[in-house]
Amino acid sequence: MTSHDVRDMLDLPQEGAPRPAKKQKLAGPRPVLKGLAREVQNLGGDNPIAIVPEVSVFKKRRFMSRKPASKWELVPFKNTARSDQTLILRHWRRKEASPPPTVIDENEGESSEAAEKPTPVMDDSTFAKFNVQINIPDYTDDEYNSRLASPGWSRDETDYLMKVISDFDVRWPLIWDRYEYEPPQPRPVEGDAAVNTGAIIVPPKARTMEDLKLRYYSIAATIMALRKPPIKMNSAEFNLHEVMQNFDAKQEHDRKKFAEAAFKRTREEAREEESLLLELKRILARSDKLNEDRRELYARLEAPPSTGNIGIFSTSGGLQQLLQQLMTADKSKKQRKLTLGGETMSPAVGASGQTQQNFDRRESSVRESISGPSGGNNKKGNTQNAADRRQLTEEEERIYGVSRHERLGTSGPTFRHDKITKPLVSKSAVQQAKIGNILGELEIAGRLIMPTAEVGEAYEGLLQSINVLLDARKVADKLAGEIATAKAHRAEKKRLARAESTNPTANGDGEIKREGSAVASVRAGSVQRKRSASVMSAISDKSTKRQKK
Amino acid sequence: MAPEKNQKRCKGVQVFRPFVFGSNAKLFDPTTNPKPANTPEDHTHSWEVFVKGVDDTDITYWCKKVQFKLHESIPNPVRTIENVAPGAPFRVFETGWGEFEIAIKLYYVQESGEKPQTFYHHLRLHPFGTTDEEKEAMRQSPCIKSWVYEEQLFNEPYDGFFDLLTSPLDRSKAGGGKGGKGKGTKVMRGGMVGSTGERTALLPLASRPGQPFSRETEKAEIKKLQEAKGKVDEMVKEVQRELRDAEEEIKRLREEAKAA
Repeated sequence: MTSHDVRDMLDLPQEGAPRPAKKQKLAGPRPVLKGLAREVQNLGGDNPIAIVPEVSVFKKRRFMSRKPASKWELVPFKNTARSDQTLILRHWRRKEASPPPTVIDENEGESSEAAEKPTPVMDDSTFAKFNVQINIPDYTDDEYNSRLASPGWSRDETDYLMKVISDFDVRWPLIWDRYEYEPPQPRPVEGDAAVNTGAIIVPPKARTMEDLKLRYYSIAATIMALRKPPIKMNSAEFNLHEVMQNFDAKQEHDRKKFAEAAFKRTREEAREEESLLLELKRILARSDKLNEDRRELYARLEAPPSTGNIGIFSTSGGLQQLLQQLMTADKSKKQRKLTLGGETMSPAVGASGQTQQNFDRRESSVRESISGPSGGNNKKGNTQNAADRRQLTEEEERIYGVSRHERLGTSGPTFRHDKITKPLVSKSAVQQAKIGNILGELEIAGRLIMPTAEVGEAYEGLLQSINVLLDARKVADKLAGEIATAKAHRAEKKRLARAESTNPTANGDGEIKREGSAVASVRAGSVQRKRSASVMSAISDKSTKRQKK
Repeated sequence: MAPEKNQKRCKGVQVFRPFVFGSNAKLFDPTTNPKPANTPEDHTHSWEVFVKGVDDTDITYWCKKVQFKLHESIPNPVRTIENVAPGAPFRVFETGWGEFEIAIKLYYVQESGEKPQTFYHHLRLHPFGTTDEEKEAMRQSPCIKSWVYEEQLFNEPYDGFFDLLTSPLDRSKAGGGKGGKGKGTKVMRGGMVGSTGERTALLPLASRPGQPFSRETEKAEIKKLQEAKGKVDEMVKEVQRELRDAEEEIKRLREEAKAA
């Protein structure tokens, strides 16, 4: 930014300003000079003499602030953090009410005392607040017996643990260091004293820090839950409760062991571990890629059978059907053109065509004036930053809707909806109709509302599932047919067998019976068919429709 | 139209731009929507068909003009709209009485070097919908809206066009340019992130009346599709179970047949 810009902003005249500014600078110090210095300066006239003027800034400031010196006094204070409240110490504090100024050598006092914040008279020490009392859970005998008793921990030792913990403010290393529990000497009780001593006098167990923690946390969690049911806790309390309850001594122990091992390993070991980790990472990355490749391969291998089964076209009937399909596909393509030129819905203007034209002309002229000449202006584009074109950040790619693909069918403009529905449109008409039926059942509209990339993915997934469903149904249909024929066969056989065994003589009667049972078997078959048809309603619907055609 | 010789396509790159097309139709009504003079007797509706950006964002920097091919019975059935202000829709106003398919052809800006593309829109004058409630709701509303969201994909655009699509509007140019009235200063009604000046492909986060297309709508649709997929998967499982039963049965039947 140059002075030119500044002047421009402030609406100052273009030239002439800088000179006065310089002169003022020179003129500035002059009146300050006094006595000899001024005379010497004047000798130089307009050209200033390079003599450092004697400007006593620091001293001046001292005289400038001619305030009365503040008074300090020795004030006693106590410390509530201490257990004995009798101790009273004193410290220097600034007096609140300003008494008549008395000159004390406050210079030394200021530097040392200023650091300390003023506290009210005869009040608590500033540092008392740092003595935070920790809430150590408290329990009654009942609570202990019902909820807290634990094998390996006597009541006495638990009490001792709690005491140590509160003594050292839950600082675990300290607690563990000072933890020296000695089981109470059993009072010589008459009778079973020997038994008691035998039971109780065991060498004090060496507790690890994890043991102590586990015991304490379990007690604390239990008491916490007792005092306030977990449902009523606020989130912080509940989290604390969870943490304490889920304390895993073994895991903690392992973690420490691991950390210690990691701490003690040599440089070579560390290096080796690092290289191993790297290797592992490489292997994992490669396996990902490998899996991806394999999946793609499988997908490709599996794709053809699902898309088209040529088997149905192997017979002459099948070929006929194929031809039909192609014809209908062709017809549907033409359909669109027909609707365009359709004769049923022509909003014909008829005789009033001329007026309509006028109306239209007016419209377009209005439109022209609205649009103005600015339309083409901004699309000229800024091609100047071609250099940094390839380095769009992810954020920018998102903003500008840029995506990169391995394969992009054709280049050129297309529409997303066309692309999304391509797998559907490219299918045969029959298949399309089937899929359409299912989509209708699912209440998915024919046209997607928001054909975005993500919606497209979801739609693709849906179509895949539908394809699987259709395939499964096809097989199911086939099987149902087979079952029906097998049943018919069986019925036939049975009937024959029965006819032969029961009626070897009366021929006419047998004939009638045979007919009757044949009807029955056919009926059974049709019932079977019906059942399967109701299961696969969509398909059978389709098939009947096809028959109608 | 042909791009310069030295232009190359950006391999593997796809850029998309959302836009909206559709129609609004209103029944003639003496009070609210009086019939303009010179309107033929049998015309019952006034309607418009349009192509515009989502939330009225600018699309003129990639779409140069739009050709609407109306029904042949309408005078000048082919209407070409160009030179609209940034952020304004490309649209045609008409009156009529019948619904028909409108072929809409998008012409892209010179820099794109792309050929025009066509899609179709069915003009709606009467309430439509799959359920009666939908139809009734539409009957109550002041105008019949048939809006469609679409995304224009530019597959492997030419270098120059890619730059155009992925760089923000040069503000100094826009401000100093001829007639740049209100271009950079246009305040969006929806407070969308990218306003007219910013050439982004972002969608508004939430929809609001008169602007139904947003991330919210998209999410809802994805959810619907996923639920549908879940249903289909259920059906597949069921059919597979039935298949298994059927296979067992057929096996049984065959064995019986053999035994017999």
